[in-house]
Amino acid sequence: MSVRNGGAAGALGAKGAAFADREYWVRLVMFACAAISILAILVIFLFIFRESLPAIRDVGIGNLFFSTNYNPQTGHYGMLGFIWGTLLTTFGAMVLGAPLGIGTAIFLDQIAPERTAQVVRRGIELLAGIPSVVIGWFGLILLVPFLARVTGTAGYGVFAAVLVLVVMALPTITTLSAETMKSLPQELKEASAAMGATRWQTIYKVLLPSARDGLLIAVILGMGRAIGETMAVQMVIGNSRAITFSLFGRTSTLTTRIVTDMAEAPPGDHRSALFAMALVLLLLAMLLILIIRFVSRERKLAA
Amino acid sequence: MLSVKSMPTMKRVPVKARRKALVVALALALLSLACGCGKSTSAGGRYSGRVRVSGSTTLLPLIQEASIEFMDANPRTKVDVQGGGSSVGITQLKSGIVNIANSSRELKGDETGWGLVDHKIAFDIIAIIVNPNVPVRNLASDQVKAIFTGEVRNWKTLGGPDEEIVVVVRDQASGTREMFDEKALGSTKDRPVESEPSAIECSSNGVVRETVANTKNSIGYLSYGFINRYVRAVKVNNVPPDVGNATVGRYPMARWLHMFTKGQPSGAAKGFIDFVLSERFQNEVVSQEYIPVRDVLKQ
Repeated sequence: MSVRNGGAAGALGAKGAAFADREYWVRLVMFACAAISILAILVIFLFIFRESLPAIRDVGIGNLFFSTNYNPQTGHYGMLGFIWGTLLTTFGAMVLGAPLGIGTAIFLDQIAPERTAQVVRRGIELLAGIPSVVIGWFGLILLVPFLARVTGTAGYGVFAAVLVLVVMALPTITTLSAETMKSLPQELKEASAAMGATRWQTIYKVLLPSARDGLLIAVILGMGRAIGETMAVQMVIGNSRAITFSLFGRTSTLTTRIVTDMAEAPPGDHRSALFAMALVLLLLAMLLILIIRFVSRERKLAA
Repeated sequence: MLSVKSMPTMKRVPVKARRKALVVALALALLSLACGCGKSTSAGGRYSGRVRVSGSTTLLPLIQEASIEFMDANPRTKVDVQGGGSSVGITQLKSGIVNIANSSRELKGDETGWGLVDHKIAFDIIAIIVNPNVPVRNLASDQVKAIFTGEVRNWKTLGGPDEEIVVVVRDQASGTREMFDEKALGSTKDRPVESEPSAIECSSNGVVRETVANTKNSIGYLSYGFINRYVRAVKVNNVPPDVGNATVGRYPMARWLHMFTKGQPSGAAKGFIDFVLSERFQNEVVSQEYIPVRDVLKQ
């Protein structure tokens, strides 16, 4: 590529050659930038996989991924309780966050006067900019004592984590949902109004069904945010090694368990088991991306 | 496109100025090199050579910190610090793989006959703390065990309010937890006793303190040096946790932290142990988590 460019530029004289040369370098730098991110993900994946191999080998796939017995002192590294914790908090956050986010998006797009919509939009952008540790701290100082008083438990637990995650995922869901609503053709609304539909009927029967895939993607990306969140969740979930089926039970997620044990886990199976948890997280993230790809392809096919 | 157009202006720096800049840069580089050389020869420290250290993971952060400072003061030394656990360190010391073994326990069994020399480098006391809302001031050792294993789940049976006990423990890999499980719960390698599964796990002494301070009806344990006025230490069998009671064995949850050598140490290994025991390192670094050796011997 470069040789051909250089040759062609040669006819343009020295100045032209310098330009072509420079263009080659610029292109090379851009390619390097792109290559670095691909390389990074490849290295991360290979590294995590390699580091988790000892645990997979010594503990066994069944005892590692499908057991709820986590007790490194006795050589038990079952992470199912934490996988469950991750799924429980994430889905919990979506159950609360999806209606809230999509509702806000509908409000912004269909109901709010432009002035109000502006204020709400700025507020949500601000929410997205708050570091997770601040939200977690807020949860620890205000939310946990409040839940403790209301429920009579210690306050730490799944529900506190869910509330914190709702705050963290809300900007993603709202912003993307609002984009989707905005991208719907104006004709849809006009046609619906021409049929004599009320505003509510238009939203419920026309806009929401046409925006379905976009809203689904918004929620899935919100899930991605929730699955990976560590700091804020660790501060409020109670970090116990027990599996819980209660909204107010203390447990751990994959991310919080890694960060709790990481500091002092000696090299060996314990450390390796933590990497295996990272591997599961990576696979969960990949699964979400696959789902998004699938949904968007369906949409393209339908269109 | 825009960037390509604007690029030539960046290159239009006069040749003379460029040459000048180059000369200045070279001079600076030479100067810094000279300074670097001068420093390493004049402040070379007293020791040189390689020291290999392994053992207790409890002591790992402390000894790593020491190794960095020691190598800074003695650039001609190289200190390798590895974990592995107290037993691993002691075994490696015997077979000559390492010069120093860190240990969070005494020598036991065969180890006592291997001619190892004990250097006590710090003292560790574990105190049991409660949230100030808990009125209980004293616990018998079997009550401690019952609470932390989840046998007793309500403060009422212990003379407190009718509230659920919130148990706070250290993370799974913590040496403090290992010692607590061993001394308070009676856990052994063959018959491990686990603390209650729904206990809140914290990754450091500081986090334990914050969690207990902020959670009503909670109980936890931490290194003695971390107690402050937001948590209350309880007596065990009517003995308060302090250096005096711990050194004579009246307070059960305490231990010496050791460095072992094979025979008397010499050279850089001796220098390193002396450094760990130096007044400055003991008072500034060791005291942040443990009790300095001198403070115990004063008692």
